[in-house]
Amino acid sequence: MIAVHDLVKKYGGFTAVNGVSLEVRPGEIHGFLGPNGAGKTTTIRMIAGLLKPTSGRILVNGHDLASDPERAKASLGFVPDRPFLYEKLTAGEFLRFHGGLYGLEGAGIGDRVREMLDLFELARWEHELVESFSHGMKQRLVMCAAFLHRPEAVLVDEPMVGLDPRGARLIKDVFRTMSSRGVAILMSTHTLEVAQEMCDRISIILQGGIIAKGTVPEVRAMSGNPDDHLTNVFLKLTGGSALQEIDEIV
Amino acid sequence: MRSSRQVVFPYLLLPSLWASRNRAHRRERGDLVRALTFGGIGLSVGVAIFGGSFWLTWQLADLGELGDYLLRAGLSWLFLTFLSFLAFSGLVTALATFFLSGDLRLLLATPVASRRLFYARFVRTLGQASWMVVVFLVPVLLAVGLARCAPYSFYAIAILTIVPFAVIPVVLGTAVTFALVNVFPARRARDFLMVTGLLFAASIVILIRYIRPERLLRVESLPDITAFFATLQSPITPLLPSFWAAETLFASLRGGRDLLHFLALWTTAASLTLVLRAAHERWHFSGFSNAQEARKTRFTKLQTLDRLANRLPISVVRRHLLLKDAKVFFRDVSQWSQLLLLVALMLLYLYNFRVLDLDRIPYMSGVIKNVYAFVNLGMTGLVMATVAVRFVFPSVSSEGAAFWIVRSAPISLRDFLWSKFWIGLVPVLVLTEALTIVGNYLLGVDPFLAAIAPIVVLFMSLALVGLATGLGARYPRFAADNATQVAGSYGGIAFMVIAVLFVLIIVVLVGWPSSVYLFHQVRRLPLSSSQLFNMSSCFVAAAAISLASWWMGMRTGIRALEELE
Repeated sequence: MIAVHDLVKKYGGFTAVNGVSLEVRPGEIHGFLGPNGAGKTTTIRMIAGLLKPTSGRILVNGHDLASDPERAKASLGFVPDRPFLYEKLTAGEFLRFHGGLYGLEGAGIGDRVREMLDLFELARWEHELVESFSHGMKQRLVMCAAFLHRPEAVLVDEPMVGLDPRGARLIKDVFRTMSSRGVAILMSTHTLEVAQEMCDRISIILQGGIIAKGTVPEVRAMSGNPDDHLTNVFLKLTGGSALQEIDEIV
Repeated sequence: MRSSRQVVFPYLLLPSLWASRNRAHRRERGDLVRALTFGGIGLSVGVAIFGGSFWLTWQLADLGELGDYLLRAGLSWLFLTFLSFLAFSGLVTALATFFLSGDLRLLLATPVASRRLFYARFVRTLGQASWMVVVFLVPVLLAVGLARCAPYSFYAIAILTIVPFAVIPVVLGTAVTFALVNVFPARRARDFLMVTGLLFAASIVILIRYIRPERLLRVESLPDITAFFATLQSPITPLLPSFWAAETLFASLRGGRDLLHFLALWTTAASLTLVLRAAHERWHFSGFSNAQEARKTRFTKLQTLDRLANRLPISVVRRHLLLKDAKVFFRDVSQWSQLLLLVALMLLYLYNFRVLDLDRIPYMSGVIKNVYAFVNLGMTGLVMATVAVRFVFPSVSSEGAAFWIVRSAPISLRDFLWSKFWIGLVPVLVLTEALTIVGNYLLGVDPFLAAIAPIVVLFMSLALVGLATGLGARYPRFAADNATQVAGSYGGIAFMVIAVLFVLIIVVLVGWPSSVYLFHQVRRLPLSSSQLFNMSSCFVAAAAISLASWWMGMRTGIRALEELE
């Protein structure tokens, strides 16, 4: 489970994240939505332990990220929007190294690596250098790494970018299976169809603050039209009126 | 499968080792050429250092106690020089390894203990910051040991001395980086370090000039050598690790032991490392976090450039390409600071011509001055090749992932590459013409040479800039992180090999007829028509080779760009 309380991040005089609180329960897929520059990635990077919050508290499976970062990170899987990969390692080497960072070693690690490569349809690329991978393959390799150590919570920043329909379908299936096994998933996305289809609950962030939170029907109701499509709801809540000016300008 | 988070720190170094292994197994084009070129250069330099050190130590042995004193002071001075170099190198390297390295985004999201991350990063910093010093010290100490018939224990103690000696300044440099990054965002700190690096290099140059090492070459000033070394001593010298290292090595060279200084090195290195580890645990994450926060960096708008470019009689497309390149160059401190450093070295080079006391040998000065003029021409050619490989060759690669903008724009790739050529030619030409004209003026060379050299430099500039632009387009590295990486690629090395050959050919083709002319002028002899024909042929051949290199370089580049997929 992921719990965030009153998270604030300031860059000098600019407040990127302003008092964000949210909770992702075990087995829940939580969509984190918002326009560009709203503070999604900053929030996710703070939860992943890559950015130091100005204030606020982050708990991952009951472990405080500030006071007990190793335990918190050990139970978390992270898929960044722009992942770093060692280009001169093979997929297998990269996964073995990554597993080692989470304390996975011994005879079983090889089986687990192959299991993940099979799952994400990368088995035949195990001994190929990462630099020869396409964007979608790299994205799937990062997913392999994130799920390798069987995390109890997963943090995903823009999971569908660069994936073909087959890859996107695969990721959705994996996420559903993981959540059915009790894994808490916090997923930021711009693809509202994905959020509508997969998420149990969503939070919408705008200018650093959460402006709407709840199940998809609850958020729809907030816009005043419970039957509205999520895209329209999103645009209404995040300042879609600007879109009305497009006609005039164009 | 065992689950434990007790990852030992060398584990974090595995990706680099595996990557090196994979790189060795899967050779890329040019790897062999690169290995042979760099290996050959490295070996030659190592042999030269070894030979020089051996000869010097051998000579000093004849001077008895004075020789011992000079060797001891020399070692101390050598280590003192390395001390400052290592501290600065540690400072710059730590910024990359602890704060800017891409894999930190992966490692910091994993449950690796801060202490282990520190050790892994510090080992990497130490290795990257000190390998050059170690590579230099190995032939020097080997030569000193062999020349003095030192016992085997000297070599073991030498290794055990170099390790803590390198650790101390690198720890101090890293500590300064920690402080800087916690005050400035890392990317600002990098700019700050670049400028500091420039000042550091300039201060070394000024220091060397202040010491005036050329005094050592004068026979009549031999008794002043001890005074020269005495000026390098100061009351704080015994407190520095360089002194401890030199004393330890000097004692073991004579079969003795200097435990005090040896232990001083090790205890200082160990305690400073522990202090740095504590600082890492306290300030690293806040510094790393700070490093991600360069959202609104300040930059120079460079509006003067806009105004200047608007006045140039060139097409809109070329104007915008020129403006883009100029702005990117001037906003990247790592780019212009290197150019400034080069200018500083050039000034030093010219200053050396000024202080060259050739009139001490009046019967030879005329000949030597004119020989120096050719040396100057050759040096100018090599400076030109170096500037071209560092600043012109990467110009196409520097478009990086944004090259699609040029390719999808309604401009021809021919125009694009010619624009790159002219942008590169102007500064290279100005720089090298200044070097030639001022150098020859300071030397007072014959008017014939003074007139011909700038023309030769013009032709060489056209050829080398054309070759650099063309080969840069033929062998682009769009994925490279920086221009230095591009310059060190297969194409960059191929360019350097061709450029050096080209410079040698041109110097010979221009040097021979010029020397014939000067010889006849000094002897007041007339030139025969066949001699005039041969001389003209050489000049024409030099011009033709230059123009052909220019044209072929550019043609190769344009074709390569047009065929790029």
